[in-house]
Amino acid sequence: MMEQNPLNALSEAMVAAVETAGAATLLVNARRRLPASGIAYAPDLVLTADHVVERDDEITVMLPDGSEKAAGVAGRDPGNDLALLRLGSPAASVAMPAPQDARVGQLVLALGRPSAEGIQASLGVISAIGGPVRTGRGGLLERYLRTDAIPYPGFSGGPLVDTAGRIVGLNTSGLARGASLAIPVSLAWQIAQALEKHGHIQRGFLGVRSQPVPISPAQQSALGRQQASGLLLVGVESGSPAEGGGLLVGDIIVAIAGQPVADPDELLASLTGEVVGKATPIQVLRGGSPATITVTIGARR
Amino acid sequence: MNAFDLTNWIADAQVEVVQRIQRSLVMVHNGRRGAGSGVAWRPGGYLVTNYHVIAHGRRHHVTLPEGQDLPARLVAQEPEIDLALLQVEAPHLPPALVTDSRGLRVGQIVMAVGHPWGQRGVVTGGIISGLSSAQTQGKRGSVPVIRSDVVLAPGNSGGPLVNAIGGVIGINTMIIGGDLGVAIPSHLVDLFVSEALGERMEVAV
Repeated sequence: MMEQNPLNALSEAMVAAVETAGAATLLVNARRRLPASGIAYAPDLVLTADHVVERDDEITVMLPDGSEKAAGVAGRDPGNDLALLRLGSPAASVAMPAPQDARVGQLVLALGRPSAEGIQASLGVISAIGGPVRTGRGGLLERYLRTDAIPYPGFSGGPLVDTAGRIVGLNTSGLARGASLAIPVSLAWQIAQALEKHGHIQRGFLGVRSQPVPISPAQQSALGRQQASGLLLVGVESGSPAEGGGLLVGDIIVAIAGQPVADPDELLASLTGEVVGKATPIQVLRGGSPATITVTIGARR
Repeated sequence: MNAFDLTNWIADAQVEVVQRIQRSLVMVHNGRRGAGSGVAWRPGGYLVTNYHVIAHGRRHHVTLPEGQDLPARLVAQEPEIDLALLQVEAPHLPPALVTDSRGLRVGQIVMAVGHPWGQRGVVTGGIISGLSSAQTQGKRGSVPVIRSDVVLAPGNSGGPLVNAIGGVIGINTMIIGGDLGVAIPSHLVDLFVSEALGERMEVAV
């Protein structure tokens, strides 16, 4: 009778989720202290946290069956604390991403495989969804997940999964001074794809120094929208894309490619890899009046 | 079925599981300060608790679920895996349902029931986080342990960790296995009790 209770059914479902996701959760041995975890993104590609990959060679990955594989670094995105490792031969059973975005209150499991003794898991909920946030590593994370599932030692690089064992995010303690966050799977997969292709994340480069300044009501009405602040250019690098396009010290940037820009984080967020090499309209206030300057965005080195 | 009905149904089942184990849950006093938890394991008032709960004590006594306080006799002890067997004159104390811990899997829902900080019958929930081993100081060297993400506190020691049907899968201890709480698997506990009671002797050879 009690065997058929719904609590037991939920329990069995979570065991199945751990089993499903655990098959794609691998041990990553790339630092001196405790090994960390990684997610099989493709049969021969393992996505993990950049901060747990302390070396570029003599990296090993342990599969759930206990076999050890040599791996190399296929690419790194230190700003978002992600690294992609490549196995010598296709070996891993691939993780399945969740079809929809995480929601606050959703039941989730954090998984890790920091030891050969088997998969480890903790239970919690999605506590909050935040972002964009400037990471402690100089990146800008568009979105992040916070959970109350316990991040055990060595869980960095491992998955946060839903009750069907599908990947909701990648756990890491490397983004926010040791506090555990998860990078949403859509973002992590997007970065993994770019790392697989280029080995690094391409970011746009403008070549300006700026500071946020308030926009007067008169200037806002000239813009035709409510926007409390913009970015005053206090420096334009010589030979930079900004100079080439004709941006001047004293201009106040208010939008890039049609998207309002009110602070340095929004400027950084607008300079994605996709705009590199593209002629991009930049709206400024010059002498108090709106003007649009076209700049061909460069690539950040 | 809508989401509200489902969560209510799960909650009701959870309450039933807790009520089932609380009928077999006792509080163990060692005649000094502090108290631990214990659980009825065999008919005839046989109770399992942690060795460290009763260690150095003299006049052990036990509070039953209904509040009755009885003197307890120490039947057996095994410090290496932090277990002790007590007996009280409580012939009607129902033994807990015991589930064999050899079939456990990571992810299973579990609840710890005990008396953390002396508060009676407190329930904390979580899942099995890991099935591993812990080093012991003795001839065994290492023993299998159940790790969970359940919050444990002093006073939970010696109390049961139960699964989603209310079966005892382990005895909580905070002594071995480092700073995180672990549970001694029920199959080890059952072996300890069987040997202490000479149950194996009854098997004809």
